[in-house]
Amino acid sequence: MARLTSIGRLAAALAALGCLAAAPADSPVNVPEPEGLYAGPPKGYTPPTLKGAAVIDADALAALLAGPDKPVLIDVAAPDRKPSNFPEGRLWLPVHPSIPGSVWLPLAGAEPIAPEREALFYARVAELTGGDTAKPVVVFCHVECWGSWNAAKRLVRKGYTGVRWFPEGVEGWQEKHETATLREDPAWKAAAEPQAGR
Amino acid sequence: MTLKTAHAAALALILATTALAGPVRAAGASDTEQERAARWQEIAKSIFGDRTIEKTDSLVKIDAPARALDAALVPITLTMPQGDQIKAVSLVIDDNPAPYAARFEFGPAADPAELKLRVRVNNYTDMHAVVETQDGKLYEAKQFVKASGGCSAPMGMSDEEAMKGMGDMRMKFAETQPGKPVEATLMIRHPNFSGMQMNQVTRDYTPARYIDKLTVSAGDKKVFTMTGDISIASNPVINFAFKPDGKPLQVAASDNAGGSWQHSFTPPSPTN
Repeated sequence: MARLTSIGRLAAALAALGCLAAAPADSPVNVPEPEGLYAGPPKGYTPPTLKGAAVIDADALAALLAGPDKPVLIDVAAPDRKPSNFPEGRLWLPVHPSIPGSVWLPLAGAEPIAPEREALFYARVAELTGGDTAKPVVVFCHVECWGSWNAAKRLVRKGYTGVRWFPEGVEGWQEKHETATLREDPAWKAAAEPQAGR
Repeated sequence: MTLKTAHAAALALILATTALAGPVRAAGASDTEQERAARWQEIAKSIFGDRTIEKTDSLVKIDAPARALDAALVPITLTMPQGDQIKAVSLVIDDNPAPYAARFEFGPAADPAELKLRVRVNNYTDMHAVVETQDGKLYEAKQFVKASGGCSAPMGMSDEEAMKGMGDMRMKFAETQPGKPVEATLMIRHPNFSGMQMNQVTRDYTPARYIDKLTVSAGDKKVFTMTGDISIASNPVINFAFKPDGKPLQVAASDNAGGSWQHSFTPPSPTN
């Protein structure tokens, strides 16, 4: 899989150099859009499109960020999972590099998702966009990650009209741009922790 | 548009975007550098406590591809030209979730001039090699590597398949000359599961299973002991050099799940 990813990236780089119209996240297989949300393996080739959303590459994202109408950036990548049998006392220090200014809502593109998590996702996006459903919202995770496709799809379904899906994810971004270390969105994190009285 | 002009246009486009992104990148870079330096301080303190680590460009050098082809299999070369002064070397991959990748402690039969291994890299990262000299001082060298996703990359086969022949070993010896150290390549069959690899179908994580201790001896003299971690790539391959004394090389490996394996290899006689 890692090897396929690298080949995909290499192909993308070659396509970009050759001035082809191909989107950098183009996969060697033509994956059709699923009817609804995608409930298959979370890592894998994604479709080239998302109905109701624009698909953007790193240059388009950079242009959007440099423009007057700053987008809301939503990162839905999964956090590094600490192995359950990782030795006690050995150094474990996960770090999450992402696009600077992003809000990290890990696994908001999971399918199935708990109804309260989905509701919180909509609530957080509503807060971040100030209730403006036309505001540009960029959704991403990693390259070949269905999470961002699903999360973007959720926003389209909810009536957001400015949704941009950035399928290259942080891997595509860091090719030419700096990243920043993100911490999980506090509200998202707090709600996931077990609460007293439950 | 001919191919040549297309390339020229592409190049112009790249230059233009780079120029546009210039000021933003410069500002970001210094933040990032500070962030990286702070992280290294945190890691170094956790591993070496309050001991002083001096920078070196002669005692140890890290060679790694600036951009790795496969993040799960990044080849690293540690060069320590003044091998006799080196007692131990630690390899740290700063932005891996488990940054302390490996530590090698050399024995009297070692020639630590060059050591190669293959690692997993999870994010664009600084790598640090810290050597401890015979007089107990620490020196560090740094190298930036572009690769990501190496720790969670699945092996592309079932766990059963990946564990087939676990503990099997091979050793290749380079041509030997009398009185010179011998270069050897040790290959160990072992998946070195990171514990971060998800089975895409069942969505279960394969538990971490990795070689945590590896000892190579020439006769009864130690060449090195390696303490390993989940950042060592699957099917570990380690290049090293040793001072032969005519006795077989003994290799003992053990993993965190209680597996242990021993093998013996006879180096070829020196050719005159």
